[in-house]
Amino acid sequence: MFATVMGVAAEPDRPDTPGSVEEYVSVPMPPGFRVEATELEGPVFADASGRTLYTWPSHKLRNGYSGETQGNPACYDEVRTVTAGLMSPYPPGILLPELDSRPSCTDLWPPVLAADDAQDIGKWTVVDRKDGTRQWTYDEQPLYISVLDNQPGDVIGGTTRRYGGDSPANRVPVGPPPRIPPGFAVKTTTVGRLLTTDKNYSVYAYDQDTPDTSMCHADCARTWVPVTAPAMAHAQGEWSIIERSPGVRQWAFRRQPLYTNVLDPRSWSLEGSDVPGWSNVYTQRAPSIPESFTVQDTLVGQVLADSRGMTIYTYVCGDDSVDQLSCEHPNDTQVYRLAMCGGGDPGKCLKSWPYVLADIGTLSNSRAWSVINIDPKTGHHAAAEQAAAFSVWAYRDRPVYTYGGDQQPGDVNGAGTGEWRAQRNGLKAFWLRDDYMGGTL
Amino acid sequence: MIAANREQTMKNRSPAILTGIALLASFAAQADGGNPMVPREGAIGYVMTDLFWAVYQTPDAKQECPNGFNPGPREQFEVLFPDSEKRTVVDTQLKQEIETWHPTADPDSFPFYEAEGPLSYGLNLDGKTGPNDFTHPDGEQGIDNEVYRAVACIIGFRGPVGVEYIFQNKAIADRRYNRTMIELTGVDDLTNDDNVTVTLYRGLDRLLTDATGMKVMSGGSQRVDMRWGAKLIRQTKGKIVDSVLTTEPIAEVVIPWMNLNVPTFQIIRDMRLQLKLTPTGAEGLIAGYADVDTWYRQLIRNDSTHHLSNGQISGISLYKALRRLADAYPDPETGANTAISTALDVKLTQVFIVHPSGEAAVAELIAHQTAD
Repeated sequence: MFATVMGVAAEPDRPDTPGSVEEYVSVPMPPGFRVEATELEGPVFADASGRTLYTWPSHKLRNGYSGETQGNPACYDEVRTVTAGLMSPYPPGILLPELDSRPSCTDLWPPVLAADDAQDIGKWTVVDRKDGTRQWTYDEQPLYISVLDNQPGDVIGGTTRRYGGDSPANRVPVGPPPRIPPGFAVKTTTVGRLLTTDKNYSVYAYDQDTPDTSMCHADCARTWVPVTAPAMAHAQGEWSIIERSPGVRQWAFRRQPLYTNVLDPRSWSLEGSDVPGWSNVYTQRAPSIPESFTVQDTLVGQVLADSRGMTIYTYVCGDDSVDQLSCEHPNDTQVYRLAMCGGGDPGKCLKSWPYVLADIGTLSNSRAWSVINIDPKTGHHAAAEQAAAFSVWAYRDRPVYTYGGDQQPGDVNGAGTGEWRAQRNGLKAFWLRDDYMGGTL
Repeated sequence: MIAANREQTMKNRSPAILTGIALLASFAAQADGGNPMVPREGAIGYVMTDLFWAVYQTPDAKQECPNGFNPGPREQFEVLFPDSEKRTVVDTQLKQEIETWHPTADPDSFPFYEAEGPLSYGLNLDGKTGPNDFTHPDGEQGIDNEVYRAVACIIGFRGPVGVEYIFQNKAIADRRYNRTMIELTGVDDLTNDDNVTVTLYRGLDRLLTDATGMKVMSGGSQRVDMRWGAKLIRQTKGKIVDSVLTTEPIAEVVIPWMNLNVPTFQIIRDMRLQLKLTPTGAEGLIAGYADVDTWYRQLIRNDSTHHLSNGQISGISLYKALRRLADAYPDPETGANTAISTALDVKLTQVFIVHPSGEAAVAELIAHQTAD
C-alpha cells in the first residue's frame, strides 16, 4: 500500500524548514531518462540532458476539446494559420497574427522520440506518430520537451498549478508520484508543494506537539481532527506514526503529527493557519520572493507586492488555435498582451501595467525568479547592451507587472483583467494565499 | 462581552453542533419577553442572500423598451465583420476586446435603447424632483435610478432568466466573499424605533440552508470577518417606521461582489437602506450612487465576452451609456460625472452575528465601526 522504493531522500526536516526537497516513489524508467528536482514542481521526469518532460492533456473548452487524448499525438510541425473557434463568441477561421513568424507546435514542443528498438517499461510506452516517428508516452500521454527550458530542473514550459476550465489546454510537467501514504495528495501552489488530503483539504501541524506526542486532545481534537493511520500502515522515510491512545494511530510527517481543520470552509482552504500555533505543511517550499518584494493583505487573501506594497500581476495567454500555443512569454507574439494592457499601444501599457523594474545589478537567489532585459517597445527580450532596455523582474521567465489602477497596498483592482477573466489573455494577481477562489487564479 | 463569550463557546463546537444550536435558536427567534418584534438585547443581525440591480419590468417589455432589446457582442461582431475569415485576430477579436477593456465615452456606432416610460424602482437620492427623475410604481416622485435607464433594455439584466440576474444574484448566496451582513443595535422594537444603529460587516461562513441546500434558513451564525474584511465595516444611524428601516446615507460603501472567481466589488456612494424588517428576514432596497468605472469593471472582470454575449450585453455600448447617464460626483478637472444613481433589490435572512473575542480584536472592531 505504501511504496517500498523511494527516490532521492532528503534529510528529514520539520515541515517549515526551508530547503526541504520532496521525496518521490521510484518508478521503472527507460534507459536515458531520469528524475530532476525542481524548485516549483517537485520531482519531474527529464530526458538524458535533464530537460523536463511535459504532457498535453485533453482539455474541454467551450466549443470542443484541445490537447491530446491518451495514445494520440496531436502536436506536429504544421503551422496553423487560423483560429479554431474553441472559445465563443468569436467564430473559427480568423487569421492568426504574425503568420510570417508563427511557430508550429513542434517548434515549441519537440516530441520525445523513441529509438526503433525502444521497449515499453512500466507506464512508459511508445506510440507511432503520423509522420512515421515513434514517441515516448507516460501513462499513455505523449511526452514533449519545452524549448523554453534551458537547464536541468527548469519548468518554464508549464506548471501543474490548478487552472480554470476556460484556460488554454496547457502543457504540464510530469513526474514520479510523491512519496506519500494513501489518503494524502500534494498540490503545487505559489508558495510551495502543499500537503493535503486526497479530498484536497489542507493538513496542519501544531507547534506544541512533539515527534512522539500530540498535545491536541479533547476540545482541541474536535476542531483539529487527527489524520489517522490504518492498522496495517507502517512508518517509512519522512513518515511516522504516533499512537494517540491505544489503537488510535496518527500520521506524522517530518516528525510532526498531522490534522485537518473542521472549520476550513472548503477544499484548498488555508484558514486554519490563522490560528496561533497551527501551520500548513509543505513537502517543499517555493523559493523565497525577491528581497525587495512584500506581502499584502487584500479582501481575498494575501498577494505578492512590490517594495511599495503594490500588487504584482502575471500575464497569462494562450491562443485560440488548435495547438493552443502560448502568447505569454517574451519569445511569443506580443499582440495579445499589448491589446489588453494598452489597447495596442506599448506606451499606454507602460503606464497602465508597468513592469516591475529591478535595480541595476540585482541578482535573484532562485531560478523561479530572475531579472531579464526587455525591449519596452516590443515586449520581447532585449540585448543587455540595448539602449533603453528595461531590466525587469520575471517569474518563470515571464515579466511581472503592477497595475496603474491600484491606488494603495492591498488593492487588486487589476485581477481578472482580460479575456475569460484573464485565463486566456489577461492579468492575474500573484496570489500567495486565497481564501475564496480555490487556487484557480 | 456577551458576544465574546458566545464566540468562544461556539469556537469549540463542531459545525454540526453549531447548526443544531442555530436551528433551535431560530425557533426561539431572538426576542425578549416572547414578542418577536423586540430583539433580545436590542440587537438583530441579517445576512444578505439576494442582490441585483432593481429593474422595473412589464410583462412584454413594451412599456419600458418599445424599440426592443439591445444587441450583444455576438450580434455586433456579425454586423461589423461579416467576412471575419478574411481578417486577422488583431482586426476583429482583439479590436472588440480592446474596446471592451479600454472603453470610451465616444459616440456609439450602434443605436442604444434606454429605458423609456415614467416608472422605476429606487429612492429619491437628492431630495429633488427633476425632469430626468422617475416615478415609483407606488406614486413617489423624484426617483433617481439612471442605472435602470441604462440596463433595462438589455436582456441579461432582466429577471428571471437574464444571465446577470441569475449568476450575480446566485453568487451572493453561494460565495463567502460576498457575505455582507447588517446588524441593528439599540433596537427597542422592530415595528417602530426612531434611533437605531446600523453596522455593515462581512461574514466568514457558509449560509445555513434547509435540507435541499437551496433555501437559506434564519437562525444561522456568522463570524465577523476581521481577517480580510475589516475594511468593509461601516456604521450609520437609522429609524424604523411601520417595520421599515430607513438609514442615513453612508459616504461610501464597498460591496464585495464576486461572480465567477474574480474578487470584484461595487462602490456605492451616499448609500442608504430601505428595508422591510421581520424577525426572520429583511427585504428592500440599497440605493446610492455607483462609481461608474467600478460598476463597469465589476461586470467585465467577472463575465467574459462569452458570458456577456449570452445576455446580449455589449460592454462597449453599455459603458458609453453609463457615462452618458452618470448624474453625480463630477470630476473636478473634466466636469464629467463619475457616479450614477442606482438601486439594488436586496433580501436578507436573520442570522446570529458572532463578534470577535479578545480585547485586541474588540478594540479593532470598535475602531472600524467608528471610522466612517
